[in-house]
Amino acid sequence: MNIVEKIFQDHSENPVNRVEPGDIVNVKVDKVIMLDIAGLHPELLNNPPKKPFDRDKVAMIFDHFVPAPNVEVASGVSKLRKLAKRWDIENFFDYGRGGISHTFAAESGWFLPGRIVANTDSHSIAAGAYNMLSRGLGTPELMQVICTGKTWYIVGETIKVNLTGRMKGATEAKDVFLRMAGEMGDIPNTNIEFGGSGIGSLSVDQRAVISTMCAELSADFAVFPYDNVLASYLDGRSEAPYTPVAADKDETYASTIDFDMSEIRPMVAMPDHVAGNTKPAADVQGSRIDQATIGSCANGRLDDLASAARILKGRKVAKDVRLIVTPATQSIFLQADRLGYLRTIAEAGGVVTNPTCGACMGGHMGLLGEGDIAITSTTRNFKGRMGSRDARIYMASSATVAASAVNGYITDPGDMLEANSDE
Amino acid sequence: MNKVLKGKVWAFGDNINTDLMYPHACYTLPEEERPLHTMWANRPGWAQQVNSGDILVAGKNFGVGSSRPAASNLKGLGISVVVAESVNGLFLRNSVNVGLPVVSCQGVSGIVREGDTVTVNLETGTLIDETSGKTAEFRPLPGFLMDIIEAGGIIEVLRKNGYIDSNPL
Repeated sequence: MNIVEKIFQDHSENPVNRVEPGDIVNVKVDKVIMLDIAGLHPELLNNPPKKPFDRDKVAMIFDHFVPAPNVEVASGVSKLRKLAKRWDIENFFDYGRGGISHTFAAESGWFLPGRIVANTDSHSIAAGAYNMLSRGLGTPELMQVICTGKTWYIVGETIKVNLTGRMKGATEAKDVFLRMAGEMGDIPNTNIEFGGSGIGSLSVDQRAVISTMCAELSADFAVFPYDNVLASYLDGRSEAPYTPVAADKDETYASTIDFDMSEIRPMVAMPDHVAGNTKPAADVQGSRIDQATIGSCANGRLDDLASAARILKGRKVAKDVRLIVTPATQSIFLQADRLGYLRTIAEAGGVVTNPTCGACMGGHMGLLGEGDIAITSTTRNFKGRMGSRDARIYMASSATVAASAVNGYITDPGDMLEANSDE
Repeated sequence: MNKVLKGKVWAFGDNINTDLMYPHACYTLPEEERPLHTMWANRPGWAQQVNSGDILVAGKNFGVGSSRPAASNLKGLGISVVVAESVNGLFLRNSVNVGLPVVSCQGVSGIVREGDTVTVNLETGTLIDETSGKTAEFRPLPGFLMDIIEAGGIIEVLRKNGYIDSNPL
């Protein structure tokens, strides 16, 4: 069995000898995360579960619309605050206390090898970076997990993706993903298991960028193996014991695909979708932009803010461009503040917002108007997602977005980074 | 619930995502108005033309995207079943959990045209295009999922099992 199948087997409600593609497994869930967006779901507000299966395993994290941009959201989330009291939920993280749910869950040590976590966010697949499973679920399904502590999965085929070599120059983890996306296209109902001699060169945050983005390939799960890099990331984050999960030595996969990370250049996804729709940034260089956005669960990380600050140091955002930067969690915001990144971004003429999903999902703080052209390091570039249906959204790494903000057009960040590292 | 569904086809292409089906504005609209904004960005005015019992046929990777209740909008418009070349796993779950059948049927977009009348048999896994006479086969949904659909969605299952509080928030 591979990593995904072994975690299913371990969580199966009834003991099973084997788990294989096509099986439906009923599993016990280790933790459940409810988001503020649930407050906009009448099916929950009108039919709240009586009580959680285990109140200590249920967390509430407000992240999508922080702080509330309108009366409807404010009223909806207040009902959730009431629900948190009714359920006596201790793990409740209101505005200013948490951040984007799965990024915050990871930094808080809730993501441990071998676990299954239920969350409604469709980028929950990010948890694969921590050698565990999580995937997007709908609110009605989350209600089921809160009531019963259980849910089901249809076991998909698994593709092995081997990452070899080491990223060079201005290439970031997002570029590795965009290259994968261009070559692999969409793979609904399929899992990815990462391997290869290069993964040891990727930090856990970089792995999480890649696994988060695999939602855009329509993958179910995208898991990394457990190794020393993950072991040291987890060290000190949690007291809870965990058991790393490795695939069987002789395991075979539906297919195998290799990517040499040392050959990957900065990439851009063209507007409207990501899978099968990416190009080297150099090929799109020169396309004019109106807005540049850095943020989201995928790329509102400390690395992203560092990368933006490195490019923006001593430069200004182009006159006709607005740059909006949204850290993913409160803790990343504070670290970036201490390290001076937020100041550098602001001095360059960028707007730094509080942590939230915000503009990524068309919520607030940086929506696009009619005819706007944007480049973003967030998670999705669907037509109409970030505001007007007439806007065009390119997607790239935070370095490419920052470099593009400075020039006012899509820019491979390589030259700008080199110029700044010479100083 | 009727497992043989006959209706008029609306045809869509590949990669129809959740944000097209459930634009952001829906989140803050009254519940009954939300479905009227379905496909706002890619096919404005479509939602107003859908009749109860119509069938949506689409290309590959249907429902890629977020966990937003996109299937609820389709169901709210009266779509009786979605038949696509391939279906995103999250969309499938959300669809089943609100009681809307969705099936993967390879080759369907090549044989069915918009405006055709089709009959979809959820039990036998067959689709007949009554207009052209062409047919396609698909793997029926597992019984476990059909049970949730027949119950009217997962919340009805929870209610039946005594999990739901009768005091709304």
